[in-house]
Amino acid sequence: MREREATRKYLMEFGGAMALYLVVLFCSLRGATHVDEGLGRTLLLLSPMIPIALVIWAYVRQLRRVDEFVRLRNLQAVALAGGITAGFALTWGFLENAGYPRLGMFTVWSVFAAVWAISSVVQGYCWPLRR
Amino acid sequence: MKNVMRQLRTDRGWSQGDLADQLEVSRQTVNAIETERYDPSLPLAFAIARLFGKPIEKIFFTEK
Repeated sequence: MREREATRKYLMEFGGAMALYLVVLFCSLRGATHVDEGLGRTLLLLSPMIPIALVIWAYVRQLRRVDEFVRLRNLQAVALAGGITAGFALTWGFLENAGYPRLGMFTVWSVFAAVWAISSVVQGYCWPLRR
Repeated sequence: MKNVMRQLRTDRGWSQGDLADQLEVSRQTVNAIETERYDPSLPLAFAIARLFGKPIEKIFFTEK
């Protein structure tokens, strides 16, 4: 019951924030083509981070709502994603020194998100990962 | 740790969902405790003991 209610609230808050994000992203990308280079354009292109802050807020609220086991499992998935992404970023940084192509920061986020998603699913089947 | 939570629950004819609702945790948490993949925190262990009307050490114990 509590789990379903928590999930329902999370989906509403997360969904609302993501919908707002898509609107702001679309507007900022469209708007930026009509604005000259400068601080205004930079802030306009940075504006999708406002709804992203709401997404983070929704996630933190969800972490507070769920019980200790679910919270621990979620945070372990985040920690695993952080560690693997750090390893990837460091490795790729050295490879760039060896002449490999430079990757944007969006790549780092993509790797983090992918590992986060995979580790969340995997943990559902093999918790604890190690004991 | 070992525990007898599953036995105590089934003795009362409760499903994992019933127990989860009473403890205000998720069903997967009850499942993880019953299958001994997760040891609950002290507050949750006390809540479980209170619900079943038994001392904690009669529900949770180390393997001899």
